[in-house]
Amino acid sequence: MEKKRLTIRRKESIYGYIFIMPFIVGFFAFTAGPLLFSLAGSFTDYNITSRMDFVGVENYQSLIVDDGLFRTSLWNTIYYVAFSVPLTTLGAIFISALLNQDVPGIRVFRTLYYLPAVLSGVGVYLLWMQLLEPGTGMVNLLLGWVGIDGPNWLYDPDWTKPSLILMKLWSVGGSMLLYLASMQGVSKSLYEAAEIDGASRWRQFVHITIPMITPVIFFDVVTSLIGGFQIFQEAYIMSGNGEGGPANSLLFYNLYMWNQAFENFDMGYAMAMSWILFVIVFVLTLINLKLAPRWVHYEGEEK
Amino acid sequence: MKKLRMPLLILTSTTLALSACAGFQTNNSSEGETNDDGKTVVDFWSFWGSELRRPVIDKIVADFNASQDEIEVKHTYSPWGDIWTKELAAIAAGNPPDVVINDINATAIRGQENQAMNLSEFMDDGFADKFYPELWNATLYEGDSYGIPFNTDTRVLFYNKDAFEEVGLDPEDPPATWEELEEYAAMLDVKNGDDYDRLGFYPLWGVGYDVWLLNANGENYFGEDNNVDNVNINTGTNVEVLNWLKSWRDRIGENVVNSYQAQIDSQQGNPFFSGDLAMLVQQPTFYTQISEYAEDLNFGVAPLPEYEPGNGHTSWGGGFVAEIPEGSSDPEAAWAFIEYLTGAEAQEYWAVENFDNVANIEAAEAAAESDELSEEGQMVYQMAVESMENTLLTPAPVEAPGFYNYINPHVDEFFLGSMTAEEALAQAQADVEDLIQKNQ
Repeated sequence: MEKKRLTIRRKESIYGYIFIMPFIVGFFAFTAGPLLFSLAGSFTDYNITSRMDFVGVENYQSLIVDDGLFRTSLWNTIYYVAFSVPLTTLGAIFISALLNQDVPGIRVFRTLYYLPAVLSGVGVYLLWMQLLEPGTGMVNLLLGWVGIDGPNWLYDPDWTKPSLILMKLWSVGGSMLLYLASMQGVSKSLYEAAEIDGASRWRQFVHITIPMITPVIFFDVVTSLIGGFQIFQEAYIMSGNGEGGPANSLLFYNLYMWNQAFENFDMGYAMAMSWILFVIVFVLTLINLKLAPRWVHYEGEEK
Repeated sequence: MKKLRMPLLILTSTTLALSACAGFQTNNSSEGETNDDGKTVVDFWSFWGSELRRPVIDKIVADFNASQDEIEVKHTYSPWGDIWTKELAAIAAGNPPDVVINDINATAIRGQENQAMNLSEFMDDGFADKFYPELWNATLYEGDSYGIPFNTDTRVLFYNKDAFEEVGLDPEDPPATWEELEEYAAMLDVKNGDDYDRLGFYPLWGVGYDVWLLNANGENYFGEDNNVDNVNINTGTNVEVLNWLKSWRDRIGENVVNSYQAQIDSQQGNPFFSGDLAMLVQQPTFYTQISEYAEDLNFGVAPLPEYEPGNGHTSWGGGFVAEIPEGSSDPEAAWAFIEYLTGAEAQEYWAVENFDNVANIEAAEAAAESDELSEEGQMVYQMAVESMENTLLTPAPVEAPGFYNYINPHVDEFFLGSMTAEEALAQAQADVEDLIQKNQ
């Protein structure tokens, strides 16, 4: 009896490994190799085609000590992440709370709010460049109707990053869907019980809805934090000639890294940059994971 | 569980070993590839995929293939955003294409980095004389050419003849100096409250501030021989030019500049077509847009005005070269194709069909007189050819790759008003000097 149970367990684990095999093979073939290669390359002056000499920590040293553009790009990226992550999270929760109401035609609204998430990429960026055009764009036109003299958006270094954040807020549809699904899953009996106790809608939202969807909030914060640090396309397209202007205000970390690697062919330097970013994101994610038990509530979890 | 570890370990190490093989397997490409007919295959990459350009380059390839029976060129289109990163990956993997169209301004850097082959061994004496010297020099690294100039461009002044006539200016006498430019522009302005019914000119549409600096100095930041020993960014002339450029913005007003800019960006709404803008600096190919969107426009073209009389009508250009990536399977065959591609016949065909400036002098001069162009087309092309004589390129010195990334942000700050011209240029100068020091 004892022996037989073990075989089943063993069989099950073999099945398990077979199921995750595609990932393991893919990981070793396409991810682990390049990953280690870039770590090794970050200590060299690798230029892709002809040179790969060991230079020690020179790349790291000149990045951290001498490189003003590195600091600018890191600052821009942190600024962007610090505002876009909380704002898009709050925005998505807010919209999904609205779309969770039982009103006629709610399906139409849900579709409408999800639509921007379907459209993506360069087309959207070009569209927003037109919308944000200071003189003729729709955004400033609308602001003008309520008497606000709109800013120069993508032409003013103080407004370029807010422009991107505004654009991101418009496309929160993707994470909204996650929140909505999770809100739909919250048991009705909890709300009924609260109603009997005389709790207002607001208190119900704060004390039932929010705690019940914390796992999704956690997931969203972690992934959008990591995604936020990887911002590249937006700056590449929307800063005119892809240099990160005006006045370097859209020079994000990955854009600078890309320039170093593929414009200046300084691949070793770019690899060192990618590892610094990796460490930053890794540490932030660890902190997130450490803090999670304090506020994330899993139903049926043993404490 | 323990027994399971062994097979897993084997599996993992096999996977690792396999992936290692994939990573380091290089294509032994010295033999060259041949097709079924025994012809050598030359793999040719370009980014010319548009309706306009693709048929022209495909025809040139077909003509070359028909002209001999040893080589078969295969043209592959790769989008602008991808082509050079793809090429770089292909070179690193040891299996590159045989001919690639690449940016002329970084040719020397690609030569230094062993991305492109040294082409000196293939060419006869006098080969270089077929091309505009400014273009040819941009392809040199330590005296050897690493890419053959294919096409190029320049900047000229388009002006509205009817508007000139209306305000009493001679339509055959466009402004020749900056002073005249300013004077004529003011005469051509038609103001309507804070707005303009017609604007005479604004220098930063169509070109950047750097073109005006180049025009005033008659040379780029690194002097005539592109030598990084002298960095001439923070100079009295440059300060003056930047302030001059900004004075236009201050006079016309931010809002007018922005709303005109938006119309220019929309292409067919360009205010020059409707006569709302009297003068505009553009590339000669702008003529194709005029003939498409504003057929009846009565316009003329002139060289860029000069900073001071006698200073020279210096203009700015760029361009593309055909090069052989390091590791090409058959450089001899690739070279035969490049010779054809940059030869007079193919170049003239390209020039006329695309209305594009070409690097081959004989072809460019023939194109300007070609019957296939309309009278106006000939006029513009003739001006383009003349302007080429005064056109400078700004290739990045190998010690200062991407140097403009260190200048533009400071100049942006100047135009935004958060720095004076002196401060902006002093910082730019310091940053570029740092960059050079780092790369020396």
